[in-house]
Amino acid sequence: MRNLSLTMLATTALTAAIAVPASAESHLPITEEPLELTIHMHWPRAQGYGPGGDTSKLYPVEEVAREKTNIHLIDQTSGRNTKDNNEAMNLLLATGDLPDIVGGNLIKQPVNQYGPEGAFVPLNDLVEDHAPNIKAWFDDHPEIWDAIKAYDGNVYYIPYLPDGKYARAWFVRQDWLDALGLEAPDNVEELYDVLVAFRDQDPNGNGVQDEIPFFVRDWEEVLRLLTLWDARSTGADVYHQFYVKDGRVVHPYAQEAYRDGLANIAQWYEEGLIDPEVFTRGSSARDYLLGENLGGMTHDWFASTSGYNVALEDKVEGFNFIPFLPPKSVSGVRIEENRRIPMKPDGWAISYSNDHPVETIKYFDYWFSEEGALLANFGVEGKTWDMIDGAPVYKDEVLSSGQPVNSQMYLEGAQVYRGYPQDYRYEWQWTRDSARKGIELYDTEDLLIEQFLGVAFNKEEQEVYDRYFPSIQTYMLERQQAWILGSGDIQEDWDSYIETLNKMGYEEVLEVMNSAYERQYGG
Amino acid sequence: MSNDPNFTGAAGPATEELIFDASEARRARRPSRIQRVGDHLRREWQLYVMLIPTILWLAVFLYKPMYGLQIAFKDYSIFRGVAASPWIGFEHFQTLFGNDQFLRALKNTIIISFYGLLFGFPMPIILALMFNEILKQSFKKTAQTIVYLPHFISSVIIAGIVITAFSPSAGIVNTFLGWIGVEPIYFLTKPEWFRPIFVGTGIWQEAGFQSIVYLAAIAGVSPTLYESAVVDGASRWQMMWKITIPSILPTIIIMLIIRIGNMLEISFEMIILLYQPATYETADVVNTFIYRQGIQGGQYDLAAAAGLFNAVVAFVLVMTANTISKRYSRTSLW
Repeated sequence: MRNLSLTMLATTALTAAIAVPASAESHLPITEEPLELTIHMHWPRAQGYGPGGDTSKLYPVEEVAREKTNIHLIDQTSGRNTKDNNEAMNLLLATGDLPDIVGGNLIKQPVNQYGPEGAFVPLNDLVEDHAPNIKAWFDDHPEIWDAIKAYDGNVYYIPYLPDGKYARAWFVRQDWLDALGLEAPDNVEELYDVLVAFRDQDPNGNGVQDEIPFFVRDWEEVLRLLTLWDARSTGADVYHQFYVKDGRVVHPYAQEAYRDGLANIAQWYEEGLIDPEVFTRGSSARDYLLGENLGGMTHDWFASTSGYNVALEDKVEGFNFIPFLPPKSVSGVRIEENRRIPMKPDGWAISYSNDHPVETIKYFDYWFSEEGALLANFGVEGKTWDMIDGAPVYKDEVLSSGQPVNSQMYLEGAQVYRGYPQDYRYEWQWTRDSARKGIELYDTEDLLIEQFLGVAFNKEEQEVYDRYFPSIQTYMLERQQAWILGSGDIQEDWDSYIETLNKMGYEEVLEVMNSAYERQYGG
Repeated sequence: MSNDPNFTGAAGPATEELIFDASEARRARRPSRIQRVGDHLRREWQLYVMLIPTILWLAVFLYKPMYGLQIAFKDYSIFRGVAASPWIGFEHFQTLFGNDQFLRALKNTIIISFYGLLFGFPMPIILALMFNEILKQSFKKTAQTIVYLPHFISSVIIAGIVITAFSPSAGIVNTFLGWIGVEPIYFLTKPEWFRPIFVGTGIWQEAGFQSIVYLAAIAGVSPTLYESAVVDGASRWQMMWKITIPSILPTIIIMLIIRIGNMLEISFEMIILLYQPATYETADVVNTFIYRQGIQGGQYDLAAAAGLFNAVVAFVLVMTANTISKRYSRTSLW
């Protein structure tokens, strides 16, 4: 074994000397002697690098990774008593005593802000010289490399890269449609007719007009209806974000199409087609309205929403809540605005105090190799999964344990927010049939649109943005809700609305947005 | 009012000492200042030892954090630290006062605080007086427990209760309104309803617990006063007005001054749970503004500036209240 690893090391040294990127496997183990690196790993499922945050134990995945790479990660997570990762990151930065690796949830903003100030190591050259797998991945996805850059043009973290396309979808009570002799709506007019029918024709058959035709859990999901009038509600996987229109970054709530779209939403709200309590119903809306057999249609996550078909099988007779294709807009375009973002602000970075940046980037690279990615996605081979016909397949005891597979993986040390490419085959294996059918339905058309992956501001741009935008957004949302609730008419108020936005500095914000955008994406 | 030795007594000895010192200086050679302090310490050292824990507490939790207040005048970077961040003067304050939404938040803070004071301050006193009049002990205990309870429920739960109670379809409030033929109102999206709902919730949650202080003060009133009043043929109502209330008045005034000092510290977590963009107009207060602008946006220096401003206003308020009270009622915090 020792001889073998020595030979490997010799090969590594040789290839490094002649500066030809070697294939990943030849790097292993990365060091001859075990090398300990400290890590901050703060993410929603665990505050600390250990199963469920218990750092006295090792993840099974970490044990295998240690064996393979000879790199031993030692937990040094700050703020382990808080679940708020922002707070944990601030604590870490404020102490100034950074561990070798800083990882976890939402690290993009701090890393890209404090990286140029010297807190983190720029990774561009390290990736170029020592990380062939990472380099290969980003060579295939140059737009994502651009998206993770800081304002100085350097990359300071290796992101967690989710796989899979769809997030939320349109769901309708198929059994209600059947009861009223209707089809799933294919365009915005048909959608209107179906919602009116749900409101008036008592599809739940209790003799009372108590149906809520369209409901959502987060009120912002109501804004997805804007896409039916060719407007947008957001440009990214969070609400109210900028989007790119004809090569220029703009805000959806300052577009003409938004005016008409929102006017229609206000109309639908007034007519009782949209849940009258949409702003306060909150996260229990779906449980309550489906459980009480009152809700007819929603826009929500594929996986969890499909789950109600099983959960309510016995409670609501004939319950059948299934995905349908997004209705065509007034101009005949069919899009699903919400999708999984291809790059998360999560992952890991190398801090300035790390004395082994080369070994660390090689270690990061391991998780992008085929072997490392399987380990990061599925856990330890032979323990949780087997390779069958060239594909990783979970063992039966994992799939049928009654515990969600992701929760099991989190305890194994797989699907942790390290920088790695996620593999959708992991999720597909435990996706319910009804959701799979929906995903296949959505796959029949090209519904997804490009996401705006954000920009990294330099100091001056950040100042302009901070000075103006928070107030602008507050104003936009105030007006938006007021219009939906019927206090004020958007068509009448529009000119003064735009005028106020401009007075509040909307143009200045657009300017810095676009200068940052052009710098980052070479527009 | 002067029957409370804690407040009037404190000033007494100091004055006497001064007079004593002055006359002594005239009479003979004056002991040096250091000598006098030394004598004093030797004589009263036990008192100073007892003071140490409090001084430590103040130093660690109140004075040390004040060091960080300087970031209100700095371009603060967490990584560079407080000391290494560059000074920028009053820029953050200019940003704040140039922002209409901050001014609106300031206005809302003052209005909501004022309502809170106007309606919220007398409630615990009234409650305490009412409890005091209950004769049956078991009923008194039960009633007290019931009014204390909301204080121990987390704000998230309270907000959930409020949202449900004011729901247009299933809420108890709209159900009642329905009986008298009023159309359901979507209260929590109406700016004009936010303040009454918020202030009312606050009273419901805290009045019971706050009444404890007054109950304690009432318990301290000498029974002989009531006994002689009974002999004189006073009614219960007269006893309340002529004995109970005057006796607890110093407590009431001290609580009022403290309350005025905390006036601007509205329980903003409750506001965050209850407000909507649609109600920002009346609901957005300085703390929620700071939360949205500063903490969520990572502008800690700006948030510190707004917080400092809040603290200065609170300081002025408490000073004013104290001075007024000192002048007119001779009861004061210091």
